[in-house]
Amino acid sequence: MKESLLEILCCPLDKHDLELEDAEYEDDEVVGGTLVCTECGERYPIEDGIPNLLPPDMREESPA
Amino acid sequence: MDLQERRGIETDVYQPAEDSRLLADAVCERLANVGDGPGGGRTVLEVGTGSGYVAGRIAAETDARVIASDLNPHAVRQAREVGIETVRADLVSPFVDGAFDAVAFNPPYLPTEPDTEWDDWMERALSGGEDGRAIIDPFLASVGRVLAPGGVVYLLVSSLADVDAVAECAGEEGFSAAAVADHSFPFETLTVLELFR
Repeated sequence: MKESLLEILCCPLDKHDLELEDAEYEDDEVVGGTLVCTECGERYPIEDGIPNLLPPDMREESPA
Repeated sequence: MDLQERRGIETDVYQPAEDSRLLADAVCERLANVGDGPGGGRTVLEVGTGSGYVAGRIAAETDARVIASDLNPHAVRQAREVGIETVRADLVSPFVDGAFDAVAFNPPYLPTEPDTEWDDWMERALSGGEDGRAIIDPFLASVGRVLAPGGVVYLLVSSLADVDAVAECAGEEGFSAAAVADHSFPFETLTVLELFR
């Protein structure tokens, strides 16, 4: 993901801002790290350059 | 045509079909005709991007910044591989208020019996619950929050999910609806609704 994407992302639970932690970069892209809600502290992983912003209760759901 | 036929051999990611093309054509044409030219300076979200086809068309044919989301991890990976900025998300939940000038969505809309359970990603991409609107209704209830002032929604609706019922539900959420494209097939008519406030 591009770092500028952060400007339009928020915590899916409480809509507060997210902070990028432990960012790994490849060229100008963020390919790894964690997005952390500044309010509730929920953590959202960035997997292979794609932020996974599913609410925690949907994250483990993986059909076949 | 039932789900089984429609699923074909692909089981992970919905591949572009007539509905995808109708939506892409309509969004590109409408974005070219509003504001200051072909999507200039605007930000567009495609919800449930699947293969990334519609988002890719919008990115290629307009100047808009295009973001694509999907619930399905295989879909967001496939869409990213074709160069689209992707987010794994449930509808519009992780986007800030007023983020988008346009939101496009080709939702799962095939009515399915309650005991139909394949429980794979393709079923999730197609099934709209008993009335075909199990995903459309929560989308309509939440999409207004992420629209910028003057923002519009392009929603692909099938006659199988009852276009009038969808328009009525959109009305309850404060949207006016206009049909901007349609295409008839022997088994269904596809319509692109433009929703605005």
